[in-house]
Amino acid sequence: MGGTELLQFVLAGLKNGSIYALVALGFTLIYAATGVINFAQGEFYMLGGMLSVWAYADLGLPLPLAGLVGVAATAAVGGVFELGAIRQRKDGDPLALIVITVGGSMVLSSMARHLFGPNERPLPLFSGGGSVSVFGAVLEVQTIWILGLTALAVVGLWYLYNRTGLGRAMRACAVNRDAARIVGIDTRLMVTVSFLLAAALGALAGLAVTPLTQTAFDVGPTVGIKGFAAAILGGLGNPIAAVVGGLVLGMLESVSIAFISSTYKDAIALIVLLAVLFMRPQGILGRSSREKV
Amino acid sequence: MRRVMLGVLLTGALFAMSLGGCAGEPDEGGEAAGDTYRIGAVLSLSGPQAGLGEPERRAIEMEVERINEKGGVHGRPVEVLFEDDATDEAKAVTAASRLIEQEGVIALIAASGTGQTMAVRQEVERAGIPQMSLAGGSVVTAQFSEWVFQTPWPNRIVVPFTLGYLRDSGVTRLGLLIDSGAYGKDGYDVIMAEVDRFGIEIVADEQFNRGDTDMTPQITKIRAAGPDALLMWAAGAEAATVLKNNAALGGDSPLSVYGGPGNGRIELIQGAGDAAEGFTFSAGKILVPEAYGVGSDEYEVTTSFIDRFTERFGVGPDIFAGHAYDGIYLIVDAMKRLPEGFTPEDLRDEIERTDGFIGAGGTFTFGPTDHNGLSEDDLTMYRIENGEWVLVGQAR
Repeated sequence: MGGTELLQFVLAGLKNGSIYALVALGFTLIYAATGVINFAQGEFYMLGGMLSVWAYADLGLPLPLAGLVGVAATAAVGGVFELGAIRQRKDGDPLALIVITVGGSMVLSSMARHLFGPNERPLPLFSGGGSVSVFGAVLEVQTIWILGLTALAVVGLWYLYNRTGLGRAMRACAVNRDAARIVGIDTRLMVTVSFLLAAALGALAGLAVTPLTQTAFDVGPTVGIKGFAAAILGGLGNPIAAVVGGLVLGMLESVSIAFISSTYKDAIALIVLLAVLFMRPQGILGRSSREKV
Repeated sequence: MRRVMLGVLLTGALFAMSLGGCAGEPDEGGEAAGDTYRIGAVLSLSGPQAGLGEPERRAIEMEVERINEKGGVHGRPVEVLFEDDATDEAKAVTAASRLIEQEGVIALIAASGTGQTMAVRQEVERAGIPQMSLAGGSVVTAQFSEWVFQTPWPNRIVVPFTLGYLRDSGVTRLGLLIDSGAYGKDGYDVIMAEVDRFGIEIVADEQFNRGDTDMTPQITKIRAAGPDALLMWAAGAEAATVLKNNAALGGDSPLSVYGGPGNGRIELIQGAGDAAEGFTFSAGKILVPEAYGVGSDEYEVTTSFIDRFTERFGVGPDIFAGHAYDGIYLIVDAMKRLPEGFTPEDLRDEIERTDGFIGAGGTFTFGPTDHNGLSEDDLTMYRIENGEWVLVGQAR
């Protein structure tokens, strides 16, 4: 196998990995705020693509605006989901909340099936077709968009967490919710904000990928599971860990195809995931001290 | 204690009601009901295969209305009862047994997918009614059951046809890219069993999973093996991603990609755009009915169906709608040939005697050991040019 092909595998790993990273970030944000795994995260990915297609094809908006509408509308769905379903469970029992998110994911995909039909729907490439050559390997222009948008989201999130009052309040909530409430932070609002952000991140991933893959009402669960695995692999609750987990998972899949077999790529990725968790139950970058649930 | 008693009473009452309901149902299928012939249809109206089940339901609904407008069968209307299996084998079994036990259907159209089709077989055999499958897996008729018929072209007919075309095009080294689902697996087994006969060597053999977002690693590996062409066996949305990735990786020299009937979907052209140009695949002649020869009986049947479907639903029928059209008419035609008062077993025998029925998917001639009834004559090759399906009669 030549160096060019090797580089091609690395690029594919980065591309898939950054998608997983965006979805994993959503898992991590909600976990940090509520201590639960949001199983509807994959549906935010689906809605991001689907609502953008709807805005572009059905409403006739120009592509950049349609993408913005798709992401914003999905964020709104995330917020409404939190207000209407999660917040209603007053005792915040994690098990009950997890079941609510499972139900929410079914409701969202069924509604998408009903409103947008059973077939896959396309979205044009952001800046036309074509690709650039990187040391002989091929990098699709849309992949540059995916990598760029992921980087932008990570930087934006870092800024929010470290440089704004809202971000600090969210971090305070994640560290100790009761203490945060005592110092006057509206912890319920922080939960809503985390759902808004998680939905927006998932939607961004869905929007960036749809020009390459099309989207349909049932694309959520597969990507949701990959994002979940990435979040666990990196270490739940830590945004940087989610990104690392996503990229590692993407690379693992790509390398499995290169050196072993595409038949077993998911199995190999999951075996490595299990092995990592066996040695480091808290994930690659997770801290082992705190018991969250 | 009182609450317990109430519960027991309620359960008892429900039991009695359900028993009463059963007792009122006819035993001998639609016969005893007197006025209507009831046919059951278990389709995937939700879940991953909803894209198959929905056009199938539309085609059946439209054709049953037409049959009834023309006086039904023996002057009695035909009623089709639809059940959604949500692309789930267990739900398909439940739906089939409900239609058989409670509705007393005389035949079952089931199902959209190969997995669900195989799952309901035990119910059909136990009840002794004919089953018409709309799924393309070879296993449906290869694992033979006297009760089960199949309308799509199974892989065991399509694959040799496609490989023959590849051989005639001068392909000797072939790369495979297969959907890991039931349809892809089924095709894969047939491909591996047949390639030697066509003097073709498989130089790379890769898979992808449903929902995968990127196939560049697989295609990179296939390209490294230096094949003459790439054969993709996949029915889902991922086919468009494969074409796009292949075009991007190939630059000035992309691999020529070939496929099968699962790729005869307008969504593939919409999704892959320019990357779909030049993609060549085998399928039945319904996509471009001119393949039957303008003016031929097949041409008239197919265009009439296409026109009525398009007028009613605003979109043309796809191959799945065509399979459903064939399924309902194969059953109803056999019913018409029988005298009134036939049993489901008579119906099975009569369907098996179908000889030269002209449908949307081809000309069906069933026999005691052939419950698919189609041949390679019912297939043709298409190439996508300027965003349209174009007939490719001859190998290039």
